[in-house]
Formats: sequence, C-alpha cells, structure tokens
Amino acid sequence: MVPRPGPRGGGITVLERKSALRFPLVGILILVVGALTVGPVVMLVVGSFSEGIGALGKFTIDKYVAAYTDPVLPKTLLNTVIFTIGCASFSTILGGLLAYLSVRTDIPFKGLFRVLPVVPMMIPHVLFAAAWITLLNPTNGMLNLFLRNIFKLSSGPFNIYSLGGMIFLEGMLDLPVTYLVISPAMYSFDTTLEEASWVSGASNLYTLRRITLPILRPAFLATFTLAIIRSLASFAVPSMVGLPGRIHVLTTHVYRIISIGWSPDYGRAAAIGLIVLVAAIILVYLYRYLIAESSQYVTVTGKGYRPTVVELGRARYPLFFLCILLFCFLVVIPLATLVYMSFLPYSMVPSARAISMMSLRNWHTVLANPITVRALKNSVFLAVVGASLAILLSLFVAYVIVKVRSRGSAFLESLSFLSFSFPGMIIGVGFMWFLVQTPLYATIWGLLVAYVGTYLPYGIRPLRSAFMQIDQELEESARVFGASFLQALKDIVVPLLAPGVISAWILTACMFIRELSVSAVLSRPGTEVLTVEIMKLANDGLWGQVAALGIIMIGLSTVLVLVANLLRVPLSHAE
Amino acid sequence: MSAMLANSRRNYWRERGAIDMQGMVSVKNLTKTFVSKEETVKALNNVTLTTPNNRILTLLGPSGCGKTTLLRCIAGLESPDSGEISIGDEIVWSKTHGISLPPERRGIGMVFQSYAIWPHMTVFGNVAYPLQIRKTPKQEIEERVKKILDLVQLSGFENRLATKLSGGQQQRVALARALVAEPKVILFDEPLSNLDAKLRESTRQELRSFLTELAISAIYVTHDQVEALTISDEIAIMRGGVIVERGTPQDIYLRSNNPFVVDFIGRANFLEATVKGYQDENHAIVSCALGDIVCSAPSDLAPGTGVTIYTRPESFEVAPSSSSPMENEFEGTVTDLLFAGEAHEAEISVGGARILAKLKFHIPLKKGDKVRLHIDREWCRALAPGEEA
Repeated sequence: MVPRPGPRGGGITVLERKSALRFPLVGILILVVGALTVGPVVMLVVGSFSEGIGALGKFTIDKYVAAYTDPVLPKTLLNTVIFTIGCASFSTILGGLLAYLSVRTDIPFKGLFRVLPVVPMMIPHVLFAAAWITLLNPTNGMLNLFLRNIFKLSSGPFNIYSLGGMIFLEGMLDLPVTYLVISPAMYSFDTTLEEASWVSGASNLYTLRRITLPILRPAFLATFTLAIIRSLASFAVPSMVGLPGRIHVLTTHVYRIISIGWSPDYGRAAAIGLIVLVAAIILVYLYRYLIAESSQYVTVTGKGYRPTVVELGRARYPLFFLCILLFCFLVVIPLATLVYMSFLPYSMVPSARAISMMSLRNWHTVLANPITVRALKNSVFLAVVGASLAILLSLFVAYVIVKVRSRGSAFLESLSFLSFSFPGMIIGVGFMWFLVQTPLYATIWGLLVAYVGTYLPYGIRPLRSAFMQIDQELEESARVFGASFLQALKDIVVPLLAPGVISAWILTACMFIRELSVSAVLSRPGTEVLTVEIMKLANDGLWGQVAALGIIMIGLSTVLVLVANLLRVPLSHAE
Repeated sequence: MSAMLANSRRNYWRERGAIDMQGMVSVKNLTKTFVSKEETVKALNNVTLTTPNNRILTLLGPSGCGKTTLLRCIAGLESPDSGEISIGDEIVWSKTHGISLPPERRGIGMVFQSYAIWPHMTVFGNVAYPLQIRKTPKQEIEERVKKILDLVQLSGFENRLATKLSGGQQQRVALARALVAEPKVILFDEPLSNLDAKLRESTRQELRSFLTELAISAIYVTHDQVEALTISDEIAIMRGGVIVERGTPQDIYLRSNNPFVVDFIGRANFLEATVKGYQDENHAIVSCALGDIVCSAPSDLAPGTGVTIYTRPESFEVAPSSSSPMENEFEGTVTDLLFAGEAHEAEISVGGARILAKLKFHIPLKKGDKVRLHIDREWCRALAPGEEA
C-alpha cells in the first residue's frame, strides 16, 4: 500500500502517528511506575541478602537467620494474627450492619447514612489513637477516671494498651473501607431473590440463612480480606498503643528493628518485611478473586421495581441512636477530646478546676518549636507538590490503562494493582535501601518519591474509573476533525476529566498529610513531617501538644479540601 | 409441543387429583397509595376483582397502571392500605379483620420478571427449595423435582448452576419452582419481558398450552397486548389504579365499550356515527362516513344518539367485484400505501374520513385507485356514549 499524506504532517498516517506517540509513552510509564513500585521490592529482596546498608550486594543469609530465630517472633506473629483477624471481623460486621441499615431498611435520615461512615476517613489515625489513649489509658485516662469516680473503683476499668484496645481502635478506623466495599453489594442485591423465597414458603429467618447471606458471602469475604490487608499494614495504632503496651505486631516489630538500638539493622527488617509483603500480595489476589466471585452473583434485574424496604418497626429509632452513638465514637468524641486536651497542661476530667487551668500554652509551645514548624512546612510541601506529581503520573497511567489496550497497558494495570497491597512500613524499608543509593537520601525529595510510589494506586484507581466514563468516540471525533493526540487530550479529555482529577488530588493530598508508616522509616532530622512529630510527642507523653498539633493538621487538610473545591468551580464551567 | 409431552402433562394433572385447586382469588375494595417526596400516587383505587378458578386471568395495562402492585398485594409482598384479599376460601389480608398473612403462608407460586433464580444454587436446589421448606421427605423431593423438570423439559440439567442457563431455560426453572409445591394459584409478573422477541413468541405459546393443560389458576401481569390476547382466558384492563374493563380476549379486542381499551389494545379507526335503529338486540344500524353500517352495539342506544364506532385495520377486506353489494360495503380511494411485510397498510379516504386498512397482497393496489371494501358486522363496534378515552 502506498502511504498517502495525512491531513497534516506529510506522508504519515494518523494511525502511524498514534503508535509512534504512544509506544514511548507506554514504555516510559512502565519504566517510571516499575521503578516506583517494583524498585523498592527488588531492593528489599537484595537488601535482605546484603550485609548492611553500606554494603549492598555482599551476599549473606545471616539476616534471615537472625530475623527468624528471634525469640520474640512467635509471639509477634500470634499477636499479628489475632490483631488482623480481630480488626477484620469487627470492622466487617460493623460495616455490614451499617451498609444493611442504610441500603435496605427504613432507618431515619437515610441520606445522612451515606455520608457518616465515610467521614472518619478525614481523621488521621495517629490522632484518633491519641484521643482514645487520653480517654482510656489505665493510669489517668479521662473516661477511666470518670468511671472510677462513679463506681468507686480503685483501678481500670478499661486498658487501651491491650490487644482488645488495639482491635477496638483499628476496627473503627477500617470501618469506612469495609462500608464502602459492602454497600455496593447490598445495592446490587436483587431483592426479588428474597421475595421468591418468601413466596416459596420460607420465613424471614430461613430466607436470610439460605438465600441472602449465601449470596452476599463472597462480598463479605472480600471485605474481610481487605480489612486483613489494611490492618496487617497498619502502623499508627500498633505504634501508638501497642509499643507502650508491649504488644508487638509485625509492622512495629520491623519498626523496632530499625529504630531502637545503636545501629538500625535494615537487612533484618527487610528479611522480616518480605513475609509481610508476600502475605499481603497473596491476600490482595484473594481479594480480587472474591470480588469477581461476588459480581457473578449480580443478576440482571428487570424493570427495577422499587426494592422492598425492610421495615424496622419499633427498632427504628433505637437502631438510629445506636448508629449515632457509633458516629460519636468515630468522630465526635475523638475530636472533642483533642480540642479539650489542647488547652490543658495534663489530662483531667472536665471540671471547674480544669476550666480554670485552660490556656493556649500548648499552642504557643508547638508553634514556637522550630522542629514542628519545619515539620508543618514539610508536610504541606509534600501534600501539595507530592499530590500534584502523583496525580499527573496517575493521569497518564490511567489513560494508558483505559484507552490503550496493549500488553504494556495490562502490565501497568497489574503493577498498580499489586502495589495496592504493599504495606507502607515494609515498602518504606525497601525505599530506604533504594534511596541510600541515590543523592535523594535524607532529602524531602526522597520522601516525595516514596510517597508517590507507595500511594500511586490510590490515584490511579479513581482516575481510571473517571476515564472509563468518557466515551472513546468523543476523543476520536476530535481526532477526525483534525486535532492531534495531545491536542485532543488537552481539549476534550482533560476538561471532561477535571472534576474527577480534583477529587483524586484532594484525596491524595489528605492522604499525604496524614501519612505515617513510610515517613516513620524515612523521616530524618531536617525532613520531619507532622505525623512522625506527633508520634514522638505522644511517646513523650505531651498529649496537650499532640492535640494542638493534631488540630493544626486537621485544619490543614480542611483548607486543602476547601481550596481545591474553589478551584473545581471555574474548571467545571470550562466544560 | 409434542403430543407425548402434552399427554404426560395431562397425566401429571390426573395423578395429583387436583381438580379443584381452590385457586379463586378475590379482591375487595383494595386501595394502595405510594407517597414519595414529589407526589402521591394512587396505585390501586378501590379495586374489586374475582379471578376464575383453573383459568388464566391477565392484568393488562400501561406502566404505572397498578397491575404489578395488585399482583404484589395478592402475593403479600406489598401491603395495601385498605380492603380485603382472599385466596381460595381463606382471607389472607383484611384491614377490618386485622389479618395479614406473610407471603410464605399464602400457598402461592410466583414467576418473577427477573426470574429471581438463586445464583448460588443448582437447578435442582432452586426447584427443590419450596419442598425442602415444607419438610417433604428427601425421596419424595427427588421424585417430584424430577417429574416437574421433565415437564418443563429440563431433565439432565439438575446439577447445573442455574445462572449458567440461557434466558429461556432460566424462565422454565422459575416456572418449575413455582409449580413444584402445587400452589393454589400461580402469579406471573411479566415473565416473558426479558426474552428476545422470537423466543418470547414461542414461549408464549408453550406457556399457554402448558397452563391450560394443567388447568392451573393463574394471574398473569403484562403490558404487552399480544401476549395478553394469546395467553389469557380472561383479561382485566387496568388504568390509573382502576380496572376499566374485563372480558375474554375476543370481547376485549372486538367488542370493547371503552375507548381507552380500544386504543390501548391495538390500532383502531374511530368514526363518528348516528344511531338509526336496531337490527336485532346486539346489532345497531348506524350512519357514518362509510354510509349506513350494521355493527355490534350495546342494546340500549336510542335512535338519533351520536356514537363513536371503531374498526380494526385488519378486519377490512376487498369486496369481490362480481357479486352484488353486500351489507357493510363501501367505496373509497387509496390515498397512501405502505408495504408492511405481511400486508399492505392502506390509507383509504371515504366520505370525508380517512381509515387505515390492512389489505392482502393478492389484490394489486396503487395510490389513487378506487377500491370497494367490506367489513363484517361483528368487527365494527359502537361505543356507548359518555365513555371518555
């Protein structure tokens, strides 16, 4: 065939131009994403077989021997198993109940219920843990003191520094996630399946046992698996509650190896971290399988007769108030505690004396401390610049995954999916090995690279679904009318995508502000961040300053959300 | 449907000895209102209805007419506001008596629009379910499920996951499940609307012969007129929460008294006419654009009354040219001609009116032709005055 001149650009057809432009794009993306996600994993493996951080590549299996003969390891593993299963059960049951109430029943203020379970996402885990510690610690927890006064107890009654306390906190923190995974399954549940059972002669209970629960089983198992992945990776609660309580799980075990003692042993940390990583990867594939399984049960429904709403009857308001109580546990109580604590020199039950002792001293101390101020600046920088870079990269990756159907894009997709499971603490150790080889080590840019690499999937996922909603033909018609690939991207795709991009940016920026586990490994003097400073203040028992700094941190997130929302208005007018 | 199969169905029916299935459903003064943020909808407005025993009654109407609500109230899946429902000789719902049986205690079977096949169970599991609930012995369950699966031609599919079947097969699983516990009455909620056009047609016929052979009491909801006409023994037409007309398919199609029904159930020519007199009790002579016409009519119209008559396009035929003019013959001009597959659709101008006629192909026609048409007296109908469309 004789190549004919295209509409513009002599002698090269549209198709050829397209592939000429896209091939390097896919290639470059695979390189960048690969370096950011597989890179630290490879370095983790190499590092685990190396003699030390300065002696990369000198082969040894000493680290494995040391790591796996450690006498505290069995106890740590047992704690981890109890902790993850406990959290996953607690949060799955809670999320399932809330999803059921809000989707299927006539509980009052339904609209509110769609929002409430997600609100706790805004609260950084460190602060949530800090607030509950000041309420429930065994020596002077405010709630404990209060209850002791009432019931004339000499000690107790609650001890947050326990496995039960950790499960209680982490379970509540995982609630938004479990709720968000279960409720779509509840929505797509075809209620005629239940009706068919009633009409067949089955009672409500029998129907629940034989029809409803079996059909929802894969969705519940998927949620449970996801909660296991989350709590396995969780660091905030295990470090804030578990370390003082001497209840160690795998993440805190790794943290202790690299932070306690004279010479942090990154090789031993890597050797332990690898089993956590492998477990997480296996779990995330299990999760994917279960989600696919549960969508198989979604049947084609007919005309969409309004689904039968389960009437709660007399239980309607009691259940509603129970949910409100839960919401108080999740948001109101921790926030109120933080505000209250930030004005007090030490924790005490609200009283006239407490009010008379209130001052702004904590706030002054925090804002006068050059380290916390630097941490504040660093966190803001990481949130704004980091989120922007992460979203820019995610945009290209999501575009390639959705629009370019090739082996390269499929590979990119599985890369981004795989790294979704990586626990921040472990991947942080991987980044440590990685960054030491570069001039980025111990700079704010090193942290930035690690943030972007670790949390890339969280940017790619929402953008991917945003891209999927834009019809291919909209872009194609721009090409037909003479726009180049990049022009069509700029004129058609980007404006339609803008609202989705801004939401993704907000999410990422907020995530970076409250990031703890990667920072805990990589933060050095000079590159302090807010969460790590809060953790240190908590270790020193300076709860008032923790509270003040925490509120500043929440304020920052809120400002970010507001500013981004202001930006959204003119951008969506551009449509 | 093979003769052998039909035979086996009759045997099934005899074995059960179920002559009287007590399948009469009677609904008295049923009212149901839906309240949403924007509006209040009276889905059922004082509906009273008694369904025939061992026959198929269809509830037909446009969407939102209340037919599905009525069906779901009978099933117990929806609670009415007031009125009474009884199935057989048992009251299952009554406001005044404070009776409200849940669906599982009403002894009914139901086929859902989405089939509602349980995706986590096999074909056997789905069909055996109603019997398992009734604590039927295992041996008997196996026998009865096997028999009913034979009946719906699904033998050999027992261990398949029900959702792996085709749409038509799923539909038959749903039917088998509804039949297996020998319910007093079977409710059908638009069971064919998820099938494609061709399959729908054949399934329609199968279902009709199946249900008539088993002599089952059935209430069938659909919005498809052709489906209603082919499948039913009787049709009740609903509109705005009210039953506007009830009758056999023939009555409804050819001898309706309600202009809404006439229009809803098929295409019709409406003509203004004046009553001149009666030929016999059921046939009046009217004068209209077609000339003087004999048509079926209510028996109480006074001479001189202005009425509307309606005819169906397919009831016209070209009059044989040789013979002398018969009753109900008229001449018109073809003003438009459309090829519509099985016939011509001709627009005929006659006496200042235009009518639509479906005419067979073997008479050559073209635009501008003069044509003599004939219509049987049974196929035109005078509507009683005062019925609003």
